[in-house]
Amino acid sequence: MSDGNRSRFAAVALLLLKLRAVLVLLILLVAFSILTPSFLTANNLSILAKHVSINAILAIGMTFAILAGGIDLSVGSVAGLAGMVAGGLLTVRIGGHTVGVVWVVFAALLVSCGVGLLNGLLVSRIGVAPFIATLGTLYIARGTALLISNGKTFPNLGGTATSGSTGFSVIGQSFVLGVPLPVWMMIVIAALASAIALRTPFGRHVYAVGGNERAARLAGIRVGRVKLLTYCFSGFCAGLVGLIIASQLESAHPATGESFELNAIAAVVLGGTSLMGGRGSVRGSLIGAFVIGVLADGLVMMGVSEFWQIVIKGLVIVLAVTVDQVQTKVEARMAPAALGESIAKVAV
Amino acid sequence: MRRAALAGLLLLAGCHARDSRKLVAVIVPSQDNPFFKAEADAAAARAIELGYRVRVDAHEDDAYRQDNLVDAAIASNAVVLILDNAGADASISAIRRAAKAGIAVFLIDREINATGIAKAQIVSDNDQGARLVAAEFARSMRGVGGKSEFAELIGRESDTNAQVRTKGFHAVLDQTPWLTMVAAQSANWSQAEAFSKTETILQAHGNIRGIIAGNDTMALGAVAAVKSAGLKGIEIVGFDGSPDAVAAIKAGEMEVTALQPAVLISQMAVDEADALLKTGSTGKPEVQVIPCDLVTKANAGEYLNFEKKQ
Repeated sequence: MSDGNRSRFAAVALLLLKLRAVLVLLILLVAFSILTPSFLTANNLSILAKHVSINAILAIGMTFAILAGGIDLSVGSVAGLAGMVAGGLLTVRIGGHTVGVVWVVFAALLVSCGVGLLNGLLVSRIGVAPFIATLGTLYIARGTALLISNGKTFPNLGGTATSGSTGFSVIGQSFVLGVPLPVWMMIVIAALASAIALRTPFGRHVYAVGGNERAARLAGIRVGRVKLLTYCFSGFCAGLVGLIIASQLESAHPATGESFELNAIAAVVLGGTSLMGGRGSVRGSLIGAFVIGVLADGLVMMGVSEFWQIVIKGLVIVLAVTVDQVQTKVEARMAPAALGESIAKVAV
Repeated sequence: MRRAALAGLLLLAGCHARDSRKLVAVIVPSQDNPFFKAEADAAAARAIELGYRVRVDAHEDDAYRQDNLVDAAIASNAVVLILDNAGADASISAIRRAAKAGIAVFLIDREINATGIAKAQIVSDNDQGARLVAAEFARSMRGVGGKSEFAELIGRESDTNAQVRTKGFHAVLDQTPWLTMVAAQSANWSQAEAFSKTETILQAHGNIRGIIAGNDTMALGAVAAVKSAGLKGIEIVGFDGSPDAVAAIKAGEMEVTALQPAVLISQMAVDEADALLKTGSTGKPEVQVIPCDLVTKANAGEYLNFEKKQ
């Protein structure tokens, strides 16, 4: 093999490594389409996308926290808390009147952003390690969710026409142009987040802070403020997810969202974002969420047992991280100049 | 400052000592589940009525946490422990330790794989309840010739009650010639998980006419999924008799459920404990199995929060 061939081979290998999440997703889609006849129907793909949107929205919020060198373990609890705030407000009567759905949604999102703000303050102003700070708020948010109803479920959130409280179910159950509203939310949030990450000064600051916090600080970036905003955004995304779930079920349960944070982190990691910060993308997390979601729904359709589903999900995550390490090594071995040259060759 | 705090502490301790009522410790799996909440509340209410002090804790299905809570009950000189335990085998040592410390242990809702340690084990008949529900499910799915497809939502598969219920279901359903099961998935007792798994199952199997769930929470998740898919005429049954499920049965969204007499069982446990302390005997055998009630649209009005209205 000549030098040229070898570098071209390496470049192809690297490209495949970089596109691994997309490749895995394509393989899964093809495999499930063959194995289960009703998998590749518009209706099923719509439902699949709706299921994915829950984890994807959480993962997009999580991506910013991780890109900036942090992590947000509280998202699952915040989702549960947001649902309970909404459920409580929809159930309560103030002076014989119901609270408007718009205000309910606003309050739930405000509380979620508030928890995000608390995370951000703990991390950026007091200097608590993100893992610890958000672990603490994980418990605080979950405990508060339980306290709101004294552990009970808020049922019948669909409301009645007579009390003027209907409309909450729109969030999780309605369709726009034949596509479920949660899927639109995922698309809009992903597009906005991706644009922010790639095309705004703030986005570049997030990467800079995660890549080298000290250098970012010396370059004049307001590191604390950048971190604060990433946690607020993550809290907002978590709150939205809580609202979607409560709206879909028309009930709010305080244990909703347990271990969602792990699924979100898994999606982010599958998408190639480094847990060390500074490297990764929103698009990757979206694809990661789809990999996990397609795997989960496909295995259910095939009738695979729950226990195997858990093992398979774990295997995919371990595999993804292993490949991530291989990619880092290959990249390190290839000189940047040669890399550019060989990518150009592949493109031709 | 420190002296003031010490004085306060002594004062507190003094108050404590003056409360001469004996302590009944109630430990249940969780307080965010209507069933366990009803059972804990019922035990606490009856014990207070009979003149005891009560403390309620939750072990979150964690045997280690249960261990610590039992130690705390021993340390605070509880005379009675009402326990919905965290595992048929994993709980035995903690219960034995409590019994050795002189606490009368009364197990409710779940048995342990040992006898002679607890004063009583009062449980609802999960097998009988599951058979009741399954028989009604089979009857309602009797089609006009041909097989009717159904799906099953199983509870957390490591949980004894999940296993007993699915076995009870299948003891009936497998013998029913007009039924065929096309999907069985665990939804881990969770409504949100039942919702998304049912949506997916309905995609894979378009002819499903019924869904049988190991508890009411999952059944309600299935109700939401069926509603969201715009489907009609799918029979959904559950287990537990939760207030939300009873409401769904009244509204015609669910077919039936098996009501576990949680309130009755808690009250029996406290009454027997009281009898034991006063007379030296519970007057009952150790293992007491209480049958479940079938809640249908016709009798749904008679049931409220895990008990039959008087």
